[in-house]
Amino acid sequence: MIKLTGVEKKYGRKSILNGITFEADKGQITCLIGINGAGKTTILQAIMGLTPYQKGEITIDGEKLSPAVMEKVTYIPDAMTLLPKMRIKDAFQFMSDFYQNWNGKRAKEILEFFKLQEDERISQLSKGNTAKVNLLMGLAMDADYILMDEPFSGIDIFSREQIADVFSSHLVEDRGVIITTHEISDIEHLIDKAVLLADGVVRKEFMTEQVREEESKSVIDVMREVYKG
Amino acid sequence: MAIHFDKREAVYIQVIRYFKEQIAIGELKSGQEIPSRRELAQQLKINPNTVQRAYKEMEEEGLIYTDGNKPSIVTEEKKRIKEIRESLITEAIDQFVDRITSLQIPKEQVFELVQSKLNEPGREGEEKHD
Repeated sequence: MIKLTGVEKKYGRKSILNGITFEADKGQITCLIGINGAGKTTILQAIMGLTPYQKGEITIDGEKLSPAVMEKVTYIPDAMTLLPKMRIKDAFQFMSDFYQNWNGKRAKEILEFFKLQEDERISQLSKGNTAKVNLLMGLAMDADYILMDEPFSGIDIFSREQIADVFSSHLVEDRGVIITTHEISDIEHLIDKAVLLADGVVRKEFMTEQVREEESKSVIDVMREVYKG
Repeated sequence: MAIHFDKREAVYIQVIRYFKEQIAIGELKSGQEIPSRRELAQQLKINPNTVQRAYKEMEEEGLIYTDGNKPSIVTEEKKRIKEIRESLITEAIDQFVDRITSLQIPKEQVFELVQSKLNEPGREGEEKHD
């Protein structure tokens, strides 16, 4: 389990996170929802140890963040970090040379899942396919937890559908997934838990099946109450 | 296999209802293999934990049966299938009666209306079972 307790972060005088507390379980898909500027990306970066925070605690499976613990987590940023001139297979080679927990077999499997060819150059991929390759790079790592920043942002509907299919597949089986989004409709039935953020605070954390079953509310109904009510 | 999901109702309950309907109309036959949890999650584009919950509940209700690591199958108990069918019919009739009584229409007129509705062209084709 990834657990955040009262995490606070400031840039100078500006508060970015004002005491973030939530949990993300292994074997579940947890979705951080909020408009841009709500602190979603900062939260993922804090979990990855990529940005310092001033107060609070983050633990992974009960342990404080350390290089050893961080091996359990992989982070997929919302922008491609690979060199555009590379072919997909070169990128695979690069990953396998530099990362011990790169799983080449799984990478090929995901390539097939997305119906992409390993000879394609990164620079020649469509926006949607670029997003898929970006996602693939993270999914192919042997890690217990996967953090994805806005995997659906700015891409066409069919690519979004294909990416959404990842979440019901064996590709994330038994792993813990945290995904950020400001658009929930593609994945409403795919996530286990929703964490609603605004201004660096968790406004509500809930299990989606539970609000449907006990309150006859959709995820969007709850969002409407929280953000407009 | 496709379900049009209501976003305000628990997905696992909708999955169970769908299976009951398919079993009741004979689309899923007694003893027939059903998709694995993973396959169904992929087909319906829903969370695998939700499918897991639906299957667990269906097992407890005796709708499906799983032997070890083999694929789950639809119950082979004829009595259970009959019960499923009857409960779906009762449910549908109850809903109908509730709504129609609130409209305060004389019984005779209801019978007539139902009969003419059922006799509308194109409806016969839907009665494919006993």
